[in-house]
Amino acid sequence: MTAPLLAVESVRYRHDAQAPEAVAGVSLRVDPGEVVGLIGPNAAGKSTLARIACGLLRPAAGSVRLRGDDAFALPRRERARRVAFLSQDEPADLPFTAREVALMGRAPHLGLWALEAPGDRALAEAALAEADALDLAGRPVAQLSGGERQRVFLARAFAQDAALLVLDEPTGALDLSHQVLLVRAVRRRAQSGRGALLVLHDLALAGAACDRLVLLRAGRLLAEGPPLEVLRPEVLGEAYGTEVDVVTDPATGQPLVAPRIRR
Amino acid sequence: MKRSAAVRAVIALLALAPLVVIAAGVGLSLGAGKLSLTDALRGVEPDATVLFRLRVPRVVLAAIVGAGLSVAGVALQALLRNPLADPFIFGLSGGAAIGAAVSVAVTGTALGVAGASAAGWIGLLPTQFAAVLGSLAAALLVFTLGRARGRLHPERALLVGVVFNSFASAVVIALESVLAPEKTQAVLLWLAGTLGYEPQPVLVAAGAVVLVAVAILTALAGRLNLLALGDEGAAALGVDVEATRLLSFFAASAAVGAAVALTGLVGFVGLVVPHAVRLVAGPDHRVVLPASALGGAAFLVLADAIARVLFRGLGTEPPVGAVTALLGAPLFVLLLRRRT
Repeated sequence: MTAPLLAVESVRYRHDAQAPEAVAGVSLRVDPGEVVGLIGPNAAGKSTLARIACGLLRPAAGSVRLRGDDAFALPRRERARRVAFLSQDEPADLPFTAREVALMGRAPHLGLWALEAPGDRALAEAALAEADALDLAGRPVAQLSGGERQRVFLARAFAQDAALLVLDEPTGALDLSHQVLLVRAVRRRAQSGRGALLVLHDLALAGAACDRLVLLRAGRLLAEGPPLEVLRPEVLGEAYGTEVDVVTDPATGQPLVAPRIRR
Repeated sequence: MKRSAAVRAVIALLALAPLVVIAAGVGLSLGAGKLSLTDALRGVEPDATVLFRLRVPRVVLAAIVGAGLSVAGVALQALLRNPLADPFIFGLSGGAAIGAAVSVAVTGTALGVAGASAAGWIGLLPTQFAAVLGSLAAALLVFTLGRARGRLHPERALLVGVVFNSFASAVVIALESVLAPEKTQAVLLWLAGTLGYEPQPVLVAAGAVVLVAVAILTALAGRLNLLALGDEGAAALGVDVEATRLLSFFAASAAVGAAVALTGLVGFVGLVVPHAVRLVAGPDHRVVLPASALGGAAFLVLADAIARVLFRGLGTEPPVGAVTALLGAPLFVLLLRRRT
């Protein structure tokens, strides 16, 4: 029995003393081989929980363990070797090339003077290929389109080579084919005993990509389980406060989610 | 750029080394009097004395100050994530100005006859001493006020630095209005950045400070790269953002302090050299930092030599701080146009 890649226990967090709790006692785990989706309406606490899971925000109460070790007791670099984080607001105006940004993912593995070995460079190239960003390698990130930039930052997260990937809204800027590419890359990594926590807005994509979904609303856990259990009209209706249709795709058996829009 | 950072750094340094040698050669052979380098090296007087007592220390001084200001500029631009940051941004120039003005007001002269013995043991005159104290105190103040909720906010520190520098100008203007005109002029001239002739121990000490600063900042260069991703992005890659900021801030301040002590405020070097290096070598700090040290050294040695030659006929010398801007601005525009 191996320790879970991520075990979050009853964490609480507020951004400001006066603000309401952004996360109000949530537990969550990601086991090796698992892709877990974090879904919920705006301001449900998804991004905050993702940051707590990466050890970037320290919860007021509760614990975060990465492979059994307290995320806030681990040395920073060791923590960065266990979990890679892709934020929703990565900088757009970087002067660095795509290749240089992918190589930044190797930072937690480098020694003094931060000089990469050939192995690091090979891993960065492979990560660029995995994110379909190899043809962008020599271009400054500031000159790329939003979707291209997203693929480059994804390559950085892949190059970090951590057992756990935490990706906050990774598909927002991606076209359909690159969404599929992302899901396949993440699932391929899961097959080799790694795992991922994905914050997703697209519920159909979440259902197709994830083994398990965690539904948050107002900082609390509303539902958790396999996609077919969580993606039900009555559950989603309560979470999002709007009517939702769910049909099962006869070809794949996956739930397809559509909001009911009256015009 | 497929080559690794280490290779690119070595290439940049090898490319810049001849430039430093040429600049040093120009700096050694140009001056107020005629000098035969071959005679001087053979020990013929007075050429030998002129070379070893006057020109070598002067060139070494310019190289140390140029290198120190340039690496400090690189570090502060990365630290504050602002390309307009220069070594004096943290209120350093304002602090130095207040220190110098107060010192002149108290001791009565910019050359500090009265205080020369007091500070003589480190080879510094009271005006220089006061200016360094003033600039370091200002840096500390700005750094403290730039912190909120336990961390440094670059925008906040930048704002405090700008406000403090304005406040300092007001203080200096107020002091000048009560000082005699010739004293005022002495302060202004010194603040404009003037290369003098420093005794050997002072050069060695300042050189050591700048060298240590370059080493620390180069070791932090990988982390300075990651700071471009934002505090959170850098932290997610294992960077201790606060410690990196603190350490690079103090390394940069030490280099600037040494430069201010020796020459007053030599402007423009810390702004133009890092950007010129970036235009040629790219944004990677592991290359930009060591390359800026060499580039800055060559640049200031040349600027000083040009200052001496151009104004020889007039029997005067403009402050080197003015020459750096006169020389640097067109050079920079040329580089910028060539790239875009």
